[in-house]
Amino acid sequence: MNRTLVFSKRNLIEISRDVLSYIFCVGFPLVMLFVMTLVNESIPKEAGMTIFRIDNLAGGIGIFGLTFVMLFTALAVSKDRTSSFLVRLYASPMKSSDFTNGYLLPMLIVAVVQALLSFLVSLVISWIVGYSLNPLGLLLGILALLPSAVFLISVGILFGTLFNEKAAPGLCSIIISLGSFLGGIWFDAESTGGVMLKICKALPFYYCTKAVRAAIHLDFQAESFWIPTLIVAAVAILITVIASLVFRTKMKADLA
Amino acid sequence: MKQEIAIRTESLTKRYGEKLAVDHLDLTVAEGEMLALLGVNGAGKTTTIRMLSGLSVPTEGTAWILGKEVKKEKDAVKRLVGISPQDTAVADNLTVEENLKFMAGICLGEKTRIRDRVEEVLKSFHLEEVRTKRAKTLSGGWKRKLSIAMAIIGEPKVLFLDEPTLGLDVLARRELWREIEALKSRMTIILTTHYMEEAQALADRIAIMIDGRLEEIGTLAQLEEKTGKQGLEEVFVYVAEQAGNQNGSVKRG
Repeated sequence: MNRTLVFSKRNLIEISRDVLSYIFCVGFPLVMLFVMTLVNESIPKEAGMTIFRIDNLAGGIGIFGLTFVMLFTALAVSKDRTSSFLVRLYASPMKSSDFTNGYLLPMLIVAVVQALLSFLVSLVISWIVGYSLNPLGLLLGILALLPSAVFLISVGILFGTLFNEKAAPGLCSIIISLGSFLGGIWFDAESTGGVMLKICKALPFYYCTKAVRAAIHLDFQAESFWIPTLIVAAVAILITVIASLVFRTKMKADLA
Repeated sequence: MKQEIAIRTESLTKRYGEKLAVDHLDLTVAEGEMLALLGVNGAGKTTTIRMLSGLSVPTEGTAWILGKEVKKEKDAVKRLVGISPQDTAVADNLTVEENLKFMAGICLGEKTRIRDRVEEVLKSFHLEEVRTKRAKTLSGGWKRKLSIAMAIIGEPKVLFLDEPTLGLDVLARRELWREIEALKSRMTIILTTHYMEEAQALADRIAIMIDGRLEEIGTLAQLEEKTGKQGLEEVFVYVAEQAGNQNGSVKRG
């Protein structure tokens, strides 16, 4: 455990000193929050479109922000894997679990800080636009984001392990586009129905968005919160286990 | 007093597909000795120290580090060795002090011991003036110094230095030599290099590797006597040419 914490600390310092982490993990989600609020304010009330209303948008941006944490994780892991710094660590008593947990923990901290900031800004926006958000809902929304954070960070570790510094971000961009679109961040998936809704429901992103929106609305019914949360938690556990196994296999192959 | 054996290899071999990177290497290094592995690029020097430090599994044969077998007792071997890889393996966004604390945390564990050890290494490697500088802002010479300091912070019994002065200017190289010289006898060191003067200046014994094979090993005087040549460069050229005559041309990577 101690080596995991030492490695986590190193990763956290590296992230906090990299300007790209602020752009990707904080700046861009906040920009999208402002832009989509402007879009919402520009849509006539008669249209009855609520997807970009701050109570729905806050949860969506929470998940959207996490996809950038995934991208940043993939970048950090792939960069480390191609450096001789990892060679030095491979020759130390560190185990593969020290590495994967050492990437996961600091990225979770980044995810929580990101959610805190974007929800705080959402609260301020809600006061400005005259739609009051419940602060308790936002706090519970941060907790509801945690399984999604573990899931997406583990995807980042997996991609960073499997692909190099050039390929990993490109592949993550596909997940970002796919996840934000099919996760119902930018449109109301429920209102589509048919094949589209089936595709959305076949992927975990839909449940990520649904669970956090439900928490923000303080709606803790099984259908809207608990079932999506359990689905995301199960996927998070599965992907974390896969990422750990793949990292271990790759490490063994590197040491062959 | 009888010197203990720190490193022993027995028919140590590494193949990458068809390529024989290290060919049945038999070697012993005494405790506290500094051995230079000398050879051109692709001679098998780095592959040898990768196998000895647990970074690569031998295809045939094996090796022991202070009695621990590299194949079967990998974890025990990793606790005994330190390595400074060919590229400067440092965390770029961490300061010099943070890099040392990080490696000490990985290798030592105990908090008070870490603090004392970091101070000790900062002082002995004359890194105090750059302790708060981020690694990425350091010059090549300082980075190499830091890389070696990180390799020894865990108090290894055996240290592997892979081309420690590669690409450094003459002044930075000489300064690093002084630091390496100061480590002598405190631990067993294997240093890979293709700089003749480096091997000559630092090592107790010199091992010449050609195409994965250990062609000659001994002190400079012994090698000169055996080959009838004067100076390490002449000895090396002679050994390489002899090996080339026996096995075709000497490959250069």
